[in-house]
Amino acid sequence: MPSKEIDMIKVLETKLKGKPVQIQLGHLGTAAVQASAGAYKDVLKAMLEADEKTAVTAITGIDLGANIGVYYHIRTSNAFITIQAEVPKENPKIATVTDLMSGAAFHELEVADLLGVVFEGHPSPGRLVLPENWPEGIYPLRKDVKASEVKLNPPSTVDEKLSDEGKLVKIVIGPQHPALLEPEKFAVTVDGETVKNVEPRIGYVHRGIEKASESRTYLQDVYLVERICGICNSCHATAFVETVEKILKTDVPHRAKYLRTIILELNRLHSHLLTLGHAGLEIGYETLFQYFWRDREPIMDLIEIVTGNRVISSSMTVGGVRRDIKDTDIPKIKTVLTDLRKKLPFYKEIYENEPSLKMRMQKVGTLSKEDALKLCVVGPVARGSGVDIDVRKDEPYEAYGEIPFKVITYTAGDTWSRMNVRMDEVEESINIIEYALDNMPAGAYRVKVPRVVPAGEAVNRVEAPRGELFYYVKSNGTAYPERVKVRTPTFANIPSFLKTAIGESIADIPPNFVSLDPCFSCTDR
Amino acid sequence: MTNIATWARLKSPWVLHFNSGACNGCDIEIVALLTPKYDVERFGIKLEPSPRHADVLLTTGCVTEQCAERLKRIYEQMPQPKFVVAIGACACSGGVFAGNYNVVGGVDKVIPVNAYIPGCPPRPEAIIDGVVKLLNSLKPPKPIKKEAKIDAE
Repeated sequence: MPSKEIDMIKVLETKLKGKPVQIQLGHLGTAAVQASAGAYKDVLKAMLEADEKTAVTAITGIDLGANIGVYYHIRTSNAFITIQAEVPKENPKIATVTDLMSGAAFHELEVADLLGVVFEGHPSPGRLVLPENWPEGIYPLRKDVKASEVKLNPPSTVDEKLSDEGKLVKIVIGPQHPALLEPEKFAVTVDGETVKNVEPRIGYVHRGIEKASESRTYLQDVYLVERICGICNSCHATAFVETVEKILKTDVPHRAKYLRTIILELNRLHSHLLTLGHAGLEIGYETLFQYFWRDREPIMDLIEIVTGNRVISSSMTVGGVRRDIKDTDIPKIKTVLTDLRKKLPFYKEIYENEPSLKMRMQKVGTLSKEDALKLCVVGPVARGSGVDIDVRKDEPYEAYGEIPFKVITYTAGDTWSRMNVRMDEVEESINIIEYALDNMPAGAYRVKVPRVVPAGEAVNRVEAPRGELFYYVKSNGTAYPERVKVRTPTFANIPSFLKTAIGESIADIPPNFVSLDPCFSCTDR
Repeated sequence: MTNIATWARLKSPWVLHFNSGACNGCDIEIVALLTPKYDVERFGIKLEPSPRHADVLLTTGCVTEQCAERLKRIYEQMPQPKFVVAIGACACSGGVFAGNYNVVGGVDKVIPVNAYIPGCPPRPEAIIDGVVKLLNSLKPPKPIKKEAKIDAE
């Protein structure tokens, strides 16, 4: 346990003397604070006062029988603390924390949608992921609701009109739109060219994965959670199996840790190259898009060499990885990486000095450091605004604790900074893979684990290409998990887009939006 | 006249891509088709943003409740004759998500499908193969002699 975590616990112990609060160390794999429904805000306040980097990572809702648990997972500079509160199922009301942290708004809406918890004082209550014609009073993540028995109301046939109220014009982008690869809807209100408001409607890709994972075994769930997102699939699988390993108290072989690190970094490489190219497409620079995607293909081939499949790799399993790397493949991998490294200065030059690219990206979608902290953003979006959070450094998992690498930060906070964070991280990823290949320990690459997982719960974080990916798993002592909660990075980053788009030109929306590297299949699950 | 239209359609099918609830895995493989390594534009296949100009609808992912109506509407907006290709296990049958709440199932639960390309996700080569098979099935039947001649060339 990091010493800072213990520091934070000491601070909490002094500040919260006399309050109905219990502090447990080492529970959930990290620290957990049990607070009554009234006192959890005091804990949060105390943490905010002690550390400016305090932010909500996720809010988990869980059906506990008579009560509904509302768990606030909070990250600070170096600690990760869970505040556990409970509300009765008959009257599930709890006060909102959005007044302390505006980034919690989306998280609260999700718990309200899926478990029916009422967050009193929430600024914009409403549906988040479920369809508009979802029946009232049915909350899919409650245990008494069967997935196959839910009958939806007939869909509304009224079309949304493009309203024209005086000077303001409402433009609806999506669900099917040339600029969106995924079906989501954004209603943009504009005054001339200037954006006045953005209303998101997500949930078009909501597939009920959290509920589905409860009816599958842990091993089947690995393949299910991988399919939350086709781009960062290895990160989802790693985050899930690590959480289960924490409950099982299994030690993964040293070699498996290195193999996982290599697969994760290959995943990051292909994801970053994808986004860097996609950004070119969005600003009308198609040549850049084609160039990046040309150089991404060799990385896809590497993923195939290492894992056996191009996209969904299915290489992680509880207790290790499913296949070893062949010694004869290592030179091949190194050659491809060296080739890519040689091409990087060319791309770096484009991203740093190409005037047309700078005109479309600099001073677009600027997110200040204060806002980044308040909105609880993660990953390259936070690092582009000068917040140096990276789970690989803050809470090293797999082999990251043994491998030297830099956390890239830029301070301007605009689209250009965010893309340059990714540009530099490509090089760091190559370094990490090369180091891991050179220092790969010998030995087994997986251990056998029991299929039945003892009762327990754990939280886990992984740095996905888009930022911090969070998993919470609760086991009830059977082969099936009791609850799997996933908080994906894009879910945490969308509020920043809603804030930065306002006041800018409508033409700046595509580059600003793509700089989040949005992934809605992750967001909706 | 019909022959000319079919010939033109075969030489340059315009495709529309719609994601009705996919995990992005199939989607990035479709985009990869358009980039230098696979480059399907050399066959005249062009990704078209508007359903009104498209001949072929490439769908990915299982159909969620929210997307079902939208998918139907996009299909109705396409001009005749139109063809639907279901790409990936989810689009074919619902895949791992079949039976979840909020999931209707495969694409064929909502609109008719002409070609299924299974895989999770299918490789770009498989997608090209599927689309080419669909296009070949549209060719008007020719006298056997003539086809033999083409083969000989």
